[in-house]
Amino acid sequence: MRDFALSPELEELQGAATRLATEELAPRVRESEAAGRWPDHVLDILDGFPLGDLDLSGDLGGAEAGLLAKVIMLEALAEADASGLYAADRPGPAAGAVTMCPDRDLAMTVLEDCRSRAATCAFTVVDPELAWPELAWGPGWPDLKWIWVSEADQLRLLEVTDTPTDVVALAFQASGGVGVAFESTVERGSWTLSPHQAIEVRARARLWGAAIMVGIGQAAIDETIEYTTDRVVFGKPVAHHQANAFDLAAAAAGVHGARLVVRDAAASFDRGEPHAAFWATQAWLESVDAAFDATNLGIQLLGGHGFIVDHLAEKRFREARHLAMAAGARDAADADVAAQVAEVDDLLGSLGSETGGVR
Amino acid sequence: MIEIDVRTQEMLEELRDLGARYIRDMGLEADRTAMPPPTEHPFYLICARQGGLVSRMVGEDEGPTALDWKPVRNFLLGEEAAYWDRGVALSLPGPGLGGPALRNTGTPEQRQRFLEIFTDHSKARWGAMAMTEPEAGSDVARIQTRARKDGDEWVLNGRKMFCSNSARAEWVVVWATIDPDLGRGGHRAFVVERGTPGFEILKVEHKMGSRGYETASFALDDVRLPGDNLLGGEAFYESRKGFKASMATFNMTRPLHTAHGVGMGRAAHDFAMDIVRSDYPAHGRRKDQALERLARIRRGLHTARLMYLNAVWLAKNGHDNVLEASYAKLYSPPMVLRAVTTALDICGEAGVRNDRMLEKLYRDVKILDIGEGTQQVQRLVVSRRLVDFPRDA
Repeated sequence: MRDFALSPELEELQGAATRLATEELAPRVRESEAAGRWPDHVLDILDGFPLGDLDLSGDLGGAEAGLLAKVIMLEALAEADASGLYAADRPGPAAGAVTMCPDRDLAMTVLEDCRSRAATCAFTVVDPELAWPELAWGPGWPDLKWIWVSEADQLRLLEVTDTPTDVVALAFQASGGVGVAFESTVERGSWTLSPHQAIEVRARARLWGAAIMVGIGQAAIDETIEYTTDRVVFGKPVAHHQANAFDLAAAAAGVHGARLVVRDAAASFDRGEPHAAFWATQAWLESVDAAFDATNLGIQLLGGHGFIVDHLAEKRFREARHLAMAAGARDAADADVAAQVAEVDDLLGSLGSETGGVR
Repeated sequence: MIEIDVRTQEMLEELRDLGARYIRDMGLEADRTAMPPPTEHPFYLICARQGGLVSRMVGEDEGPTALDWKPVRNFLLGEEAAYWDRGVALSLPGPGLGGPALRNTGTPEQRQRFLEIFTDHSKARWGAMAMTEPEAGSDVARIQTRARKDGDEWVLNGRKMFCSNSARAEWVVVWATIDPDLGRGGHRAFVVERGTPGFEILKVEHKMGSRGYETASFALDDVRLPGDNLLGGEAFYESRKGFKASMATFNMTRPLHTAHGVGMGRAAHDFAMDIVRSDYPAHGRRKDQALERLARIRRGLHTARLMYLNAVWLAKNGHDNVLEASYAKLYSPPMVLRAVTTALDICGEAGVRNDRMLEKLYRDVKILDIGEGTQQVQRLVVSRRLVDFPRDA
């Protein structure tokens, strides 16, 4: 049966990440945003974990700690400040692309740049029917050199040859921000993956974002509780008005559910289960909704205070939406789960036709 | 994904077979006739003879009198049974919702006395639990059924309603108060055995759906019970233990409700999947849209399943699960209703026909958001935990 307890090693990792987040990230959130990066000493600590290598396999020089370890750490960091994660976690959302890349030498070249902080990589999903020829937004530091592109069953690796354009995006300012037109890149590789592999590449990126959304959502719930139990309106705390309390309860339940499915999908990858990618994309979709509800409510219940930058509610609201548009956004995720849903058996039984359903 | 051990898998397979052979048809028949299956239905006798719904449970250490029962396994079986028909699943012989109350609250002697009868496999027997009253539904703290001590006996007076299987039960766990002014501190649970003078079934309800099990109301008029029928014994009821005991029951039944919802949602999903496979074009926008909708149903069901398993796992391991049990119960019923309506959308106009299962499921699932505390009650429970929401607000 499923054991919901974390192993002692994972609890230790979670504790260490929470301490780092609380002591080093939380006190300087707005300062990091303004600077466009996290401080070097924080990066040193994160690289020491090693954040970027946690979920990579041994043959790629990774730590082989697994996806569950990765999502636990991302959740903890994002609760304090998610803004620098796109840049600090290298290859981050591109870990699935690196892992699936058939050219191992090329993959190692990218990883060596990431590990030495000489350069970083970005990941994007291109819709074959739209085929926008650009990376609209990627991390701005270290210098963006590599772009992994997932387009249907194709995986491509582009090398950036011109200086990227600085881009101010909806969120994640502490990761910098650049845009790159594909015409200013050179294609270093292009591979046709199996449909399952291609979906897994995208699913790994989504799981990365989903874990961060869980952290952001939980932080939103926590701050909202703190504020609304203190501030009094119409004679009682904001949270003690039933309409507000009920919304908060539903949002908290949503974040709880999202956390469970994100961790379950990560563990599913770690066990090598065949449909882990399906569940990871489902977890991302669940997290998108949960994080939006929690962060939207975070602003709503703080009222005007939620809309100004004195509080972090507005930042989380932006971050949740930014992540919801990553890896091809909802349409691509819906398409991927739709492509698989008829083949993924349910835990307790096969689907349709064999159920003896009465029509 | 969640791992299922071989033994549980065997049980699930046996249950699936029983579901296809008996349970679904029994549910459809009950729906057509608006009557639950009769107590002498052959399937009930099969369940009784094999000592439970699934024969492989016989002889296991989680027999009904054991404390070391296997809740996670039982909840998965509950989900699977509800897949075939939740109403019939709730009508199956056994201690029913009285079982968790006895296990959580009863003394070893009481567990032996009241649960032992279920090891006699010669006939089908039922237990039940009664909380709801005409004036106290979701707000269980307001129950008015009075319990008065008279010498060594207890005397019960009051009315109970919406009590599952009480008209066919050997005994009913009845929640009463020794003094309404004591609020939750006055709550006591008693086992009232069938045939006790003053215990009278008043009415079996006619329901919109979930007709596979009977829902009855009964009267307690000067019902005299031996002192030993006070669940847990007098020492158990100190401070607010009485109410906490009833809430502890809900902390297991709320996840069970969620498990049932997942089973019913799966049934709707599978029905719609059959339609998509057989009636939809092989490719194109309509097919893609339907598959996206099916994937959305799967997502909600998967999340709810993890929520109920998490709540049960916490309880099994001795952790407080109040919040997680209510999270699951808050999340699941609206999601399951959406799942069924989405399946109906996929089915189109044909979905309204009552000779097809989705129409029945639509009527069946609504009770999930009412029994064991509505979603509004769950939001209250969660709010009290999260923001100390006042009880008198």
